[in-house]
Amino acid sequence: MADEIDFTTGDAGASSTYPMQCSALRKNGFVVLKGRPCKIVEMSTSKTGKHGHAKVHLVGIDIFTGKKYEDICPSTHNMDVPNIKRNDYQLICIQDGYLSLLTESGDVREDLKLPEGELGKEIEGKYNAGEDVQVSVMCAMSEEYAVAIKPCK
Amino acid sequence: MVNNEQRQHAEHIFLSFRKSKSPFAVCKHILETSKVDYVLFQAATAIMEAVVREWILLEKSSIESLRTFLLTYVLQRPNLQKYVREQILLAVAVIVKRGSLDKSIDCKSIFHEVSQLISSGNPAVQTLACSILTALLSEFSSSSKTSNIGLSMEFHGNCKRIFQVKNKKCMLSVFLINRNVNKGKHYIAMFESSQNVMLKPTELWRETLLDSRVMELFFTVHRKIREDTDMAQDSLQCLAQLASLHGPVFPDEGSQVDYLAHFIEGLLNNINGIEIEDSEAVGISSIFSNLITVFPRNILTAIPNELFSSFVNCLTHLTCSFGRSAALEEVLDKDDMVYMEAYDKLLESWLTLVQDDKHFHKGFFTQHAVQVFNSYIQCHLAAPDGTRNLTANGVASREEEEISELQEDDRDQFSDQLASVGMLGRIAAEHCIPLLTSLLEDRVTRLHGQLQRHQQQLLASPGSGSIDNKVLDDLYEDIHWLILVTGYLLANDTQGETPLIPPEVMEYSIKHSAEVDINTTLQILGSPGEKASSIPGYNRTDSVIRLLSAILRVSEVESRAIRANLTHLLSPQMGKDIVWFLKRWAKTYLLVDEKLYDQISLPFNAAFGVDTEGSQWIVGYLLEKVISNLAVWSSEQDLANDTVQLLVTLVERRERANLVIQCENWWNLAKQFARRNPPLHFLSSSVQRTLMKALVLGGFAHMDTDTKQQYWTEVLQPLQQRFLNVINQENFQQICQEEEVKQEITATLEALCGIAEATQIDNVAILFNFLMDFLTNCIGLMEVYKNTPETVNLIIEVFVEVAHKQICYLGESKAMNLYEACLTLLQVYSKNNLGRQRIDVTAEEDQYQDLLLIMELLTNLLSKEFIDFSDTDEVFRGHEPGQGANRSVSAADVVLYGVNLVLPLMSQDLLKFPSLCNQYYKLITFICEIFPEKIPQLPEELFKSLMYSLELGMSSMSSEVCQLCLEALTPLAEQCAKAQETDSSLFLATRHFLKMVFDMLVLQKHNTEMTTAAGEAFYTLVCLHQAEYSELVETLLSSQQDPVIYQRLADAFNKLTASSTPPSLDRKQKMAFLKSLEEFMANVGGLLCVK
Repeated sequence: MADEIDFTTGDAGASSTYPMQCSALRKNGFVVLKGRPCKIVEMSTSKTGKHGHAKVHLVGIDIFTGKKYEDICPSTHNMDVPNIKRNDYQLICIQDGYLSLLTESGDVREDLKLPEGELGKEIEGKYNAGEDVQVSVMCAMSEEYAVAIKPCK
Repeated sequence: MVNNEQRQHAEHIFLSFRKSKSPFAVCKHILETSKVDYVLFQAATAIMEAVVREWILLEKSSIESLRTFLLTYVLQRPNLQKYVREQILLAVAVIVKRGSLDKSIDCKSIFHEVSQLISSGNPAVQTLACSILTALLSEFSSSSKTSNIGLSMEFHGNCKRIFQVKNKKCMLSVFLINRNVNKGKHYIAMFESSQNVMLKPTELWRETLLDSRVMELFFTVHRKIREDTDMAQDSLQCLAQLASLHGPVFPDEGSQVDYLAHFIEGLLNNINGIEIEDSEAVGISSIFSNLITVFPRNILTAIPNELFSSFVNCLTHLTCSFGRSAALEEVLDKDDMVYMEAYDKLLESWLTLVQDDKHFHKGFFTQHAVQVFNSYIQCHLAAPDGTRNLTANGVASREEEEISELQEDDRDQFSDQLASVGMLGRIAAEHCIPLLTSLLEDRVTRLHGQLQRHQQQLLASPGSGSIDNKVLDDLYEDIHWLILVTGYLLANDTQGETPLIPPEVMEYSIKHSAEVDINTTLQILGSPGEKASSIPGYNRTDSVIRLLSAILRVSEVESRAIRANLTHLLSPQMGKDIVWFLKRWAKTYLLVDEKLYDQISLPFNAAFGVDTEGSQWIVGYLLEKVISNLAVWSSEQDLANDTVQLLVTLVERRERANLVIQCENWWNLAKQFARRNPPLHFLSSSVQRTLMKALVLGGFAHMDTDTKQQYWTEVLQPLQQRFLNVINQENFQQICQEEEVKQEITATLEALCGIAEATQIDNVAILFNFLMDFLTNCIGLMEVYKNTPETVNLIIEVFVEVAHKQICYLGESKAMNLYEACLTLLQVYSKNNLGRQRIDVTAEEDQYQDLLLIMELLTNLLSKEFIDFSDTDEVFRGHEPGQGANRSVSAADVVLYGVNLVLPLMSQDLLKFPSLCNQYYKLITFICEIFPEKIPQLPEELFKSLMYSLELGMSSMSSEVCQLCLEALTPLAEQCAKAQETDSSLFLATRHFLKMVFDMLVLQKHNTEMTTAAGEAFYTLVCLHQAEYSELVETLLSSQQDPVIYQRLADAFNKLTASSTPPSLDRKQKMAFLKSLEEFMANVGGLLCVK
């Protein structure tokens, strides 16, 4: 049954990226660099010779791994921009290192791993203490991770 | 090898050695025995620091003997390393300086010694003497607190004695001393007016300085040593100082004229017929610049005519020659651009000279202006007309270097040069305007031809990528400079005020208007696609209009190349120059306002006056250019930005906007932008915002009601409609993360920022009401997008912009609406972020940016308290009368509430972002200064965090922040004194701050720049807590075991408060206290820091 849900609620048909002219990208926006979804942390232009055309120098950090990527391209080029989605779910339980999450529509997702590190411990701790917790999940280019929690009011 | 740890260890040893108590004997021993230069250096440093630190503990005689020891030491060791010798001499200088503060050292004795050294006849000794003087002077001139009268008179004596010395090595001494004399006098001048660094000595100097032999000596000496780079610079500096002589030293105008004539004669004798050395260029240009700046016009013109002519000829010659050398420096890419600096100075002098030309007969400077102008143009054009990029032997160099966006555009980097050249061009308009026109027309024809050839080549063999662009690049660069010069010639830079057509340009056009055929002129203007010379009678056109039309021809070639798909061959830089020029031109010339001029040129009036076909045509042309640029150059951020600025210029004045909105293109642009279709949405967000601003400004042009209605329906309503359509969908919550939806929201928020930017006093009523509806909806969006940081950030930015642009115009009830909206925003933000934990990589950066914006928002709201243009809803009269009049919440309440909400989100980690930290402390200092009375009423938690922030800011932040906190303390303490509640928590907190400031001043090493802020806070706190202050002093004293130190400290404290007992908040007493504090700091400061 879980499989069926995955097929129907997924973004079947929706592309995970869309093109944008380099010049229209913005700092703090997103871009695909070396095949990875990145947040743009630095954007500057340069030109070769006084009468040359602008080139854009981009520095981005991978939104999932934190790794830094750079690229330089003519400002007329189109770059891919990742579709980024964020969803908040209510945590129901933790099983075998996976989270059970309740979606807005009342379905349950069980395909997301308990994150490693601090946040994972925090979630586990809160769950074991019986606190109600909301988990924010970020999704881009068919990768999806829990990235934040907030206690329910 | 020494490893890092060892190095640190060694450094530590030296540092603690320098702090050790009374190191004098050890140091003397080291100096006498050690052979290691670095150790000697450290010993000298230790002595210097210890002397100052322990000054009041030392016997005067031991100081004196220490000084003698150091001097003798240096004298006996002529082979010391230079840096060691200078450090020791610096120590001597510091001793003398410190001594002069309490008059314990007689300056005269050291000068006596130095004069003896100088008259010794031994060159090495003389050099040393000069080094001592240099050290003394650099030490003295870095402070403005010590008196120096005796000093300069001593130098005076020294000077005279040395004038007899003749051999070359002694010349050096003469120079150094002369330089010092000048510095010394500099220093006196500083006493009289700290701004003026020109030479303005007292009458006492009259006899020496007006003695023509003295001046001659300086010139003679320069001639003798000019090959020596260092000495030549010193001697030129002396001459430049003499060139700036003014003030009471001249008994009357006659003596000033004589002096000037004499000086110029000497100067010309020195310069004419010699080849100037590289090292002389800057010095010589300073001499000219000083003469022209300092001597009044009537004195300049009073010198013999022939002499003055030779002077101006010489100036002209030098300017042209330095300009050429500066161009060579650029080609060679030298680091040290001495000729460029010299050229800048001379061009600036020209501007000064010709700006006030009433004293000269008309046309006096014309020929000179022509020469300077021509040489500037020549240096900036490619061969064969010019010499750009040619090395000295005529070889062209060409390099394609990588230029970053940080590199300033030539029009800014060389704005001073261009302003001078433009001014000279106006003076010689008869020559310069036709020259620019013919050069530009020639380049346009060549550019057109070149592009055509490229096109044919492309058609013949598509894909043969390698086209040599050298010819094109040369043309672009020529046109670039020609446009810049034309822009500066025809119009002035203006900020805010209405720019006027320069009178010289107006006169020039009027003078020739009788010979001009208006119709041909209009034809030339109106046919940018045709060669000017192909129009019959083209020589009977107005020259100024023809120059403008030459640039329109450049623009037209660009547009045609774009239509022919040759955009990749065009220069974005040239595109930028064109719209920059058109903007500058339109501001000044388009729809000339006759009321602003005595007389107006007929051709100008016919071509771009009010209600003329010409102006309507040109507005249409400019608009077409803008639209084409925005479509074609969306990828060139700077060009798009200049383009959209031109659009703003066209609509920001109502008269021009009236013409703009009559163009169908304008409406198309508005519709196209509202539809968010390509190509406009390719533009960067800042350009889109400015475009929105322009579209809104255009809406306030004069239109009939129906048209206006229609316009807003086209421009603003679609924005509202699309936005409402999106957010009112039933499933908005579910689809809000979809990309199209997010883009729609982002575009709306961006547009709102643009609309806010369009705010002016006469449209604020409409725009505020329009924006307010959105702001309410935006708060709903905050909830929906609470997990989408980039959207949250943009929403806050909308509020920041609205507050920034509008709050100052809002009357009470409207301001209240905005306050409330901002508060709700902050509440939602705080609710969504408290307790939220994020691990994603950008979490901290996102939060930092949010908080920075929030601080900005609060600061903007607070600004209402001191910038307020509102007249109790005057601008809103007739809109919503009377509403909300019974509420009265001040900006302070809102801001404090806001601070209360965001403070829990601030963390010490976030304060590590310097800009956030500064903004935060600026905000709280602001609050303390403006509403000290609100502070005691704050909720306890908030009050505590605020006080903790101040404490943190004083103890562990940058000195800038510390200063801000100290500034916040004074009003808080005054507030306590006023309230007289000795049990309030603020009262208790200030007691704690008293101790902090006390420790800071007395026990810690601190930045002396802060003494004033700390002193003021300290005094106010002392007034408030007199008993605690006495206690602090007692405790400190009782902890001293050394009876000598105890006594000195006790004396110092007594002296400190002597002038202000009992302390009161009286201003006079406060000033007296601050003065004593300075002395106190000099005596005690550092003494107690000794570990």
